[in-house]
Formats: sequence, C-alpha cells, structure tokens
Amino acid sequence: MATPAVNNNNTEIEKVKSPSGFKIIVREFIKDKVALISLILFLGIVLYVYIYSMGLDTKEVTRVDIFNQFQEPGPVHWLGTDYGGRDVYNQLILGARNSLTIGIAITLITSIIGIALGLLAGYYGGWVDNVVMRTVDFVLVLPALMIIIVYVSIVPEFDVRKFIFIMSLFYWTSKCRLIRSKALAEREHEYVAASKTLGTPDWKIMLFQVLPNLSSIIIVNMTLNLAGNIGIETSLTYLGFGLPESVPSLGTLISYSRNPEVMENKPWVWLPAAILILVLMLCINFIGNALKRAADARQRLG
Amino acid sequence: MTLLKIENLKVYYPVRGGFFRRVIDHVKAVDDISFELQPGETYGLVGESGCGKTTTGRTIIGLNRPTAGKITFNDVELTKITRRDFYKYRKDIQMIFQDPYSSLNPRKRVIDIIAEPIRNFERLSPKEERMKIMEVLEKVGLSPESIYKYPHEFSGGQRQRIGIARALTLNPKLIIADEPVSALDVSVQAQVLNFMKDIQKEFNLTYLFISHDLGIIRHMCDRIGIMYRGRLVEEGTKEEIFENPQHIYTKRLLSSIPQMNPEERLKHMAFRKEVNQEFKNNYDKYFDAEGKIFDLKPISETHSVALP
Amino acid sequence: MFKFILRRSLIAIPQLFLLSILIFLLAQAMPGDALSGRFINNPNLDPAYQSELRDKLGLNDPLPQQYARWIGNLVQGELGMSYVHNVKVETMLESRIANTFWLGLATLILTYLIAIPLGVIAGRWPDTYTDKFIVTYSYVSFSIPIFVFALIMLYIFGFTLGWFPTGGSVDVRVEPGSWDWYLSKLHHLLLPALSSALLATTSTIQYLRNEIIDTKLKDFVKTARAKGTPERKVYSRHIFRNSLLPVAAFLGYDIVFILGGSIFIEQIFSYPGLGQLFVDSITQRDFAVVNVLVMLYGFLSILGTLLSDIILSIVDPRIRID
Repeated sequence: MATPAVNNNNTEIEKVKSPSGFKIIVREFIKDKVALISLILFLGIVLYVYIYSMGLDTKEVTRVDIFNQFQEPGPVHWLGTDYGGRDVYNQLILGARNSLTIGIAITLITSIIGIALGLLAGYYGGWVDNVVMRTVDFVLVLPALMIIIVYVSIVPEFDVRKFIFIMSLFYWTSKCRLIRSKALAEREHEYVAASKTLGTPDWKIMLFQVLPNLSSIIIVNMTLNLAGNIGIETSLTYLGFGLPESVPSLGTLISYSRNPEVMENKPWVWLPAAILILVLMLCINFIGNALKRAADARQRLG
Repeated sequence: MTLLKIENLKVYYPVRGGFFRRVIDHVKAVDDISFELQPGETYGLVGESGCGKTTTGRTIIGLNRPTAGKITFNDVELTKITRRDFYKYRKDIQMIFQDPYSSLNPRKRVIDIIAEPIRNFERLSPKEERMKIMEVLEKVGLSPESIYKYPHEFSGGQRQRIGIARALTLNPKLIIADEPVSALDVSVQAQVLNFMKDIQKEFNLTYLFISHDLGIIRHMCDRIGIMYRGRLVEEGTKEEIFENPQHIYTKRLLSSIPQMNPEERLKHMAFRKEVNQEFKNNYDKYFDAEGKIFDLKPISETHSVALP
Repeated sequence: MFKFILRRSLIAIPQLFLLSILIFLLAQAMPGDALSGRFINNPNLDPAYQSELRDKLGLNDPLPQQYARWIGNLVQGELGMSYVHNVKVETMLESRIANTFWLGLATLILTYLIAIPLGVIAGRWPDTYTDKFIVTYSYVSFSIPIFVFALIMLYIFGFTLGWFPTGGSVDVRVEPGSWDWYLSKLHHLLLPALSSALLATTSTIQYLRNEIIDTKLKDFVKTARAKGTPERKVYSRHIFRNSLLPVAAFLGYDIVFILGGSIFIEQIFSYPGLGQLFVDSITQRDFAVVNVLVMLYGFLSILGTLLSDIILSIVDPRIRID
C-alpha cells in the first residue's frame, strides 16, 4: 500500500472515490458541444440578468415618459423605447429576471408536490395510488390554460403569489406521474424490503433510499419543466392574464406586438424579448437533454 | 425452549376479476403450515419455485401480512402485536436476501448500508459507528478500508457478505436466509455457506434456511421441511428426510438430484423409475380427491408426513 | 378488450361530472349573471325589480338546485344568454366553431404530413446528419412556446414577406361560396395551421423514430432479413406496419394539444375562432360565453384523451389495464 499517511487504521481512512454522477455529467457536456455552449450561455444570461437588474428600480423602469414614445434603437436607448417611452432594454432585463424567478418558483413548488404525491402513490400502491392517480388523470384533462385565465380575471387583488399558486395547482401532474411510475419500479428492488426488515420507517425509506435513486430523473425533468413553465408564464402574460403590470415579464414586452403597428413597424419593442425567450428555452432544453443522456447509460456520448 | 413457532399460517392473495374487479378467488401462497425452530438450529424450507417458501419467510419477518395463523417468537405472538411493538423484535429477526445486486441500494456507500440498522436502533457517535462497522466488516472478511466504496465495486460474493454484515450488526437471534447463495457463482457458494456456519457458532444464531437446492440444504440444515403448493408435505431431521423419505413428493425431489458417482448411477436410475411408477400408481394415496395435500401426521418423534 | 373500452369510458363520466361542478362553481365566483346582459343598457332600472326578476329566474335558489337546472339546460343545448351582447351563446358559437374546426383539421393534417416522413427517415437512418437534424428539430419544437413561434412566423411570412394574410379567416371582399372564397379561406388557414403544426410534431416524430429503431432489432425482422427479403420490403412490410399503427393513438392527445394552442394561435392571427372568442369574452367579462367555452374545451379534452387511450389499447395491448 502506497499510503504512508495512514498511521492509524481506523481514524484516518482515505476516501476511495468512485466515478461520481457529477463526473459523468461533466464528461457528457464536454462531449456535447451544443449543450456546453448552451450551459455557458444560459449561466451567462442568468448571471448578467440578475446582477444588472440589481441596479434597476422597477418603478423607475416602468415610468411612462410620453415624449420619448417609440424611439428607435440608438445610443441613449440602445433597444429603443416602447409606447410609453420606457427603455426596452431595461424592461427586457427586468422581464427576464421576473420570468426566470417565477419559472423557478413554479418549478420548485410543482416538483415538491409532484415528487411527494408520486412517491407516496408509487411506494404504497393500492388505494393511495388509486386516489392520487385518478386525481392526476382528472387534472390532466382539465382545460388548464382557460381555467387559469378565468381565475386570473376574476380573483380580487391579483398578484404574483396568486399567479404562482394557480399555476402550481395545475402543473404538478406530469411530474407526479413520472415519479410514481419510477417509484413503482424502484419499490420492487430488494433493498426496499431490506430497509424494512432493518427497522427503517417508511418515510425514511421513501426519502433516503428510494428518492436518491430517482434523483437523476428528477433533475432532468425539472430542467425541462423550467423551460415549460417559463413558456406558459410568458404566454399567459402575453395574452394579458399572467403577471400583473407592476411586475413586467418577457411576455409583457411581447404583448405590445398585439398592436399591428408595433408588430410590423416597431419590432425593436417585442422582437428582442421573443428572441431572448427562444434562446433561453433552447439553452435549457439542450442542457436538459444532455443531462438526460448522462442519466441513461445507454445514451451517453462520453 | 422454542424460539419461533409457526401455527396454521396462511397467506392468501385475492384474485380480482370481472367487471367490478371483485375478489373472485384466492391464490393460496401459504396454506396452513406449522413448524417450530429451536435455538441454535438450522431449519431448512425446501421446495420448487412458487411453493410458498419465500412467502413464509417474508411473512415471518413482517414483509407480508398473514391471512390467518399465529407466529410466536420467544413467547411473544408477533401476529397479535401492533406495528410499533413489532419494532422491538425487529432487532432479533433479520434477513439475508437472495439477490445481492438488488438488496443493496446502489446509491449508498458501504458505511451507510451497514449503518442503517444501527442508526435505527442505537445512538452512536459517528466515530463509534464507524468503529463498529469496520469491526463487522472485518468479521465478514472484508477489508475495513472499503467502507467508502459503493456496492457495484464488489463481487457478488462480497456483496452478499455486506448483506450478511448488515443483518449481523443488530446481533439478531434468528436469521431468515432466503436462497442466500443462489445468485452467486458456484465457486463462491461454498465460501459463503461455510462462513454462515462459522458465524452461527460464534453468535449462536438460529437459521431459517430457504432453498430449492437439496445439496445446500443437506450441507446446512439440521431439520428440514418440504413444501409443495403452499403446504408442508414432510418434515423431519436431515437423516430422516434423506435416508427415509416417506412422501412421494419428497422422493421425487430426492430422485431429481443428479448422481455424481458413476457406480451408483444405475442404482439411482432404478430408484427414479421406481419413484415415477409409484407416483403414477399411488397418486391417490398422497393427495385427496381435489389434489390437495393432507395434513401432517407424525410417524415418529421428529418425523411427520402428509398422509391420510 | 371490450371490457377495457367500457371501463375506460366509465372513468370519463365522473370526470365530466367533476368538470361540470368545477365550472359551475367557477361561474358562481364570476361577477354577473344571466340578467346582467339585459340590464347593461339600462342602468337606471329599479333595483327592487331586478331582484324580483332574479327570484323569478331562480338565481337565488340553493346551489344544488341551480346546478341541476344549469346542467339540464346544457344537455338540451340551451347555453344561456351572453351578458354583454344580449344574444344567445349558441348564436355566438356557430360561425366560430366551424372556423376552429377547419383550423384544427388543417393543423392535424399538416402535423402528420410533417411528422410521419421525418420520423420514418430518422428511424430508418439513425445517427446520420439527417437524423441528427430531425432530432434537434423535434427537441427545439418541443421547447419553443407556441406564441413566440407564431409571432415570429407572422412577422416573417405575414408582415415582412407578405406571403400570407395577417388576420381574419377570409377576405371579406370575395363573394361567399365562390371558388375564390374557398381559396381565400385556405390561404388564411395556412400560416396559423403551419405555425401550430410545426410545434405539434414532437411526440409523433420521437415516438416513431424510437419505435422503428426498436422494431429493427426484433427477431421477426431479423428472420425476414435472413429469409432474403429485400431491404425495402423489410421496411414496408414489417417495420413500418408495426411502428406506424401506434401513431394513430396520438390523434386524441394531438387534438388536445392543438385545442390548447388555438387560444394563442387565433389571438395572434386574429382568426375568428373559439379561442379568440374566449379571450375576447374574458376581456369583455362576458362570463356566460366563457363558461360555455371552458365546458366545451374540457369536454373535448376528456373526449380526446379517451379516444387516444382506447386507440392505444387496441394497437398496443401492453398498456391495457386488464
């Protein structure tokens, strides 16, 4: 043994490292250039947006200045101004920040709901599974977008929290289904039975034995979900049923294009936001797909 | 004193069918069996796959629910007490699983796998815990340095040793070994079996040894119960079963062991023919009109057979 | 088989029932009722008379009673009065339903016209550059929000290039019923349908590709090859036949997807269909119409899912529950 540092055989034992999941992911990204570029670009945008927006005041950015209406891009407003004379670039940054934050919040909340219920349904099976899955089936056939729009338009004192709430209410189902089917398969492994015979309580088995084995699927799913949730938020905001006006989103900027004049002749107002959404979505998806390949040994590139 | 007493154990699974998914029938995985285990002995449950031997083992340890019957451990009726009370006896009954590949969580390091029971039942400082784990690892013949490795870095035999180490940490009295070597290479089977015998002496363990392999059963067990279609057809000491089988099913099982000694081959073939003939001619003698197995009847102090 | 279809259909009944309750409760939470439309032009009407009229119409009855009456009317096709326009909701739906139907149909046809060849090509020659391109397209189309894509399509092909009209369902100057009228309708349909279809292809392409790649490795295909069947026949006779069938099952799911997208597509292309009516009605707070539309979309999506589940159970017995 070439480890002279070990003087006492049971206090200082060197950790024998195994190829960790993290290394596999790194390898996958190095092999997949598109994913690597996406990751760098995405992280760059996120960092830039969050840091730059710290110096911005929402009130200041959204203050109407009619004399500056529809300025073309130039040295002062380098993406021009909108119908209220507001700087498009600043709105773009703020909108991106809000859309990202809300997308992340919804992804986290729906993940917690979906994972919890999916684990319970898959692990216990039987009537628990039945109740959860019938609920999922029902929520899935609901015209979610329409109900969200109705809710947004009738709820008093609509704000961001209520928006996150109503979105979370509808978009936990697919994750729940996924986790449930995986947990169902995982439950058949003997290590679950072994844990039971060792006196480990069910909740601990679910959280500390089964869940870690699903982690890669969850990470992939959350990544792809983030794109989906940002997409839905901006879509709703575009229609005017998303974030309230005091919280500009990327959808807000794009919604100015509902005026055909802006659409046709003043693309600087809405096009940057549309392109930013496209770039963000594509980045997230390429990252997600690289993660997916890393999680599935058969598909790995590296 | 009896360590474990199984009385009239039944495990039925409902079969649902029809439009409303009502229960229309039952699969009788275990259908009214009784046996006892004395401290320090090894009791073998033998039978073909699907005969209910695994279900019996899993029911004793609480992984399946019995439909009816009594399981008494150390004078405590396990079938009557609540889940919380059962927790107290968990420590005393442990299990070695068949498949060392799926019985160890691939995401956990050896230290966490073996520490799981300790963390459930004892409060130890991380240092004490690690000391203890390395102690058990050494006992099962693995290098104590390997505590930070993952299961996939070990061979099948080593993994089974980890499984055994995990079962041993709580100092159990009874170990249910469900086909503990059938997933292993023949070359390491003997190694693991002999090791199990060694620790039995060292810790005064009682084994309920479940297997379909008569050779292994003969090597390991003091007393043997032969199971067939959820019922016991014959029970006796190792000598009684192997030298003086009474039930036709036992005979057929024994006759199916391939004979290695060439001189005995012809004799063995004759024995097989005889058994087959008897099975054809005297089928009614061993099974009732519905093809069901009779209840066990003692024919000597230790030997019972399912005959009318 | 038959049992599965029946059991699966039975699940749809409680779903419909729950959906109707949900929408009824939503309707209760919405401001305004069946009388608001009639009173809107007459704000000076005596409040006492108003409440008397409400009593007469049963608007103050207990909820279960109101629900029973509402669902009864719905089943008989009595959809109520618009709060805003003082016309029957049915009348408002009539022309819109046809428009949305044609748009949906065109989208479906385009979806399959694009997806099936691409899926087949990618599956037959996997890991080529063509395949990589198709797979990338399917990922990209999955990730782009439909409204962003539709807007950019409209901007490029409608405004900048001027190849397609930028709004409406038909050129109003053309005489209805003439050849030109139909052509004009088609012309108006094409861009919105294409925008929607290009994004609806993901699941079909990916499913088809994976299925063909899997089928290729099956023993019956190897047998066919071993017998000396020409490669082209191996594909047309054995592989495609096995892989294309399940695609039919996506029909229902695709309908649900396209319906959901129609809200955005119709809004962006100012296409007078149900989706646009929904957004307009919400904006005008015409909740009688909103209600009916939510119910209709929910009904269609229950039906679409049911359809897909049943087709899938016929073509792929593995998923059948019993």
